[in-house]
Amino acid sequence: MTRVVRPVFFVLVALSFLLAACGGTPATPVTVVETQVVEKVVTATPDASMPELPAGSVQINGAGATFPLPVYTEWTYAYSYVDPAVVINYQGIGSGGGKKAIVDGTVDFAGSDSLLKDEEYTSGKDLQMYPMLAGAVVVIYNFTPAKEYPADFKAPKLILDRQTLVDIYNAKVTKWNDPAIVALNPDLADYLPAETITAVHRSDGSGTTEIFTKALTAFSADWTAGGASSIEWPVDKAGNGVGGKGNAGVAASVINTPNSLGYVELSYAVSNNLAFADLINKAGQKVTANADSVASAMNDFSGAFSDKLTATIVDGEGAGSYPIVGYTYIILHTTSMTDCVKAEKLLQFLQWALTDPSATSRAGALGYSVLPDAVREQVFAKFGEVTCNGAPVLK
Amino acid sequence: MTATTATSTRFQQLIAEQQASLTPRRKIVNAVMLSLTGLMTLLALIPLFWIVGYVIYKGGQQLNLDFFTQLPRPLGMDGGGVLHAIQGTVVITLLAAVFATPPGVLAAFYAARFPNTPLGVALRFSTDVLSGVPSIVIGLFAYALIVKPMGHYSGLAGGIAMAILMLPTIIRTTEEMLKLVPHALREGSLALGAPEWKTSIIVLFPAALNGVITGFLLAIARAAGETAPLLFTALGNERYDIGTIVRNGVAQNQSFLQILERIVDQPVDSLPLTLWKYAQQPYPERVEQSWAVALVLMIFVLLINVLARLWVEARKRRLQG
Repeated sequence: MTRVVRPVFFVLVALSFLLAACGGTPATPVTVVETQVVEKVVTATPDASMPELPAGSVQINGAGATFPLPVYTEWTYAYSYVDPAVVINYQGIGSGGGKKAIVDGTVDFAGSDSLLKDEEYTSGKDLQMYPMLAGAVVVIYNFTPAKEYPADFKAPKLILDRQTLVDIYNAKVTKWNDPAIVALNPDLADYLPAETITAVHRSDGSGTTEIFTKALTAFSADWTAGGASSIEWPVDKAGNGVGGKGNAGVAASVINTPNSLGYVELSYAVSNNLAFADLINKAGQKVTANADSVASAMNDFSGAFSDKLTATIVDGEGAGSYPIVGYTYIILHTTSMTDCVKAEKLLQFLQWALTDPSATSRAGALGYSVLPDAVREQVFAKFGEVTCNGAPVLK
Repeated sequence: MTATTATSTRFQQLIAEQQASLTPRRKIVNAVMLSLTGLMTLLALIPLFWIVGYVIYKGGQQLNLDFFTQLPRPLGMDGGGVLHAIQGTVVITLLAAVFATPPGVLAAFYAARFPNTPLGVALRFSTDVLSGVPSIVIGLFAYALIVKPMGHYSGLAGGIAMAILMLPTIIRTTEEMLKLVPHALREGSLALGAPEWKTSIIVLFPAALNGVITGFLLAIARAAGETAPLLFTALGNERYDIGTIVRNGVAQNQSFLQILERIVDQPVDSLPLTLWKYAQQPYPERVEQSWAVALVLMIFVLLINVLARLWVEARKRRLQG
């Protein structure tokens, strides 16, 4: 009998090791440190709005959209010099991953290009989205000229209008020398080839696709495929559509497929020196995607925010508005944050990112557009509504 | 008597004749097949050397001292390194080793001693199943079990996910090694009056230690190269620097446990995770850096393997006297 009992004892020891590893270690020290930090603040400087905290004592974690990742990385890096007490960590795990993490409460803030769904609001209880930046989606293209460009000829940028773009992705305009395209590009008329247009789109679910397809929906009633992060593409059914994974996949497909076009984020096109088309907007003006034309689009819709502070800002009315634009958002818990020091530091960081000249200029240099004043005021007003343990976080 | 010798010589003659007629063909077939297998061996080796060579070629250009001693800089700024990922890999792997070794080794003792009891069979069966579970599923499991209840991602959660991943390897290799220990040793020990637990610890374990260590290091090398489970548990953290944490902790008079807690209980990065993140970024300089990360990771895993072999060799020599 003892021969069986001893091994069982071994197993129990092994199990207790595992349990100790899972349960014991993490639970106790966490509470110790957190309460200690709070106590320190309360006892040392009860009324000060900016309590002096030791360096690196507040760890804030965020995760989500990859689209704003480069600028968030720069902001968090620069902010460590503004407020050494705060360490902010943002990881680009995708909008979907970010939304799941904030609903589960495993991050302090999430980044997302796509809007929360109703059921996510329900299960996340007190979630609120705040627009942080806007970005444009641009059409990159690659066609082999029908005949060689003369030596002194500098090929102008391709120009497309809203209807033509819809027709291309609907596979109604299928040739590069289609009259619609030729009419828009008189300078390129002799060079547009009589070749089939291969239309490249994202194969993965993506906020970029959501912005692009929402724009197509707004452009024309002909677009019936809808606007979402992934859709069934009419060009695929027609046989001249190609999918690519991520911005890089779309860009690679366009570069490697002769006579193709596709859509990527502006910041991606800029940082990789890809040629992208100008668009004719709703007001009939030719616009290039840049910080100004995106800001113009944001201004067109500054009054269009829902009570959740979300807005679709495609196809703006303004003369200078680029038509394929979308916000990228930060998602926070508004009432259930329990670490008030952390909550205050987080909101201070977000305010800094939206107002500090060095922060906004870096965003602009990376191809993002910062919020116009009218929008920023609304975001700040919503920041003021965030509470921690019942008390407003910002004084 | 003479007749039999005659027939046997005749028989041998026939055989010799047949062999003579077949020899050239056999030689040719032999040569062809030999060169074919040699060629295929070369073909199989090409990918390995290609990968290693290409990673060294691409990654070597990016390597410098900063790469090992600095945190990453934001895009557009020169320099920066992957200190955070190197430290993170070490932290996660150490945690995983601490969590996986005691239960793994003890379970192996049980499986080796009582292979045919219901529990032993169940243990062997479940180890096999566990080693077949995709690592991303283990990541999700750790997310649901640890990350969500704790309310944040952490290196600790990453370590536990990795420990689960390492368990089957540790159990199986240890068990195999224990089985190889001669029965006479165990029986001798028991005959001298040592209780079973003492026999296990003092006689069996040292005899099997070489194999156990090898398996353990192989498990570590595997864990160090895993990305998927960390996506859901360790998350990643470009600002992770143990040096800073310790310095701040000492300056703030924190206890050892508090500093340790800060080291393991926050999101950390690892080399494969960084490689995965960098490689898919739209910025060419990050993609270039990811090659260097691949090189560092390769060297790291290689070092573990080499260390394992050296250790085993050294021990063998010492045992032989």
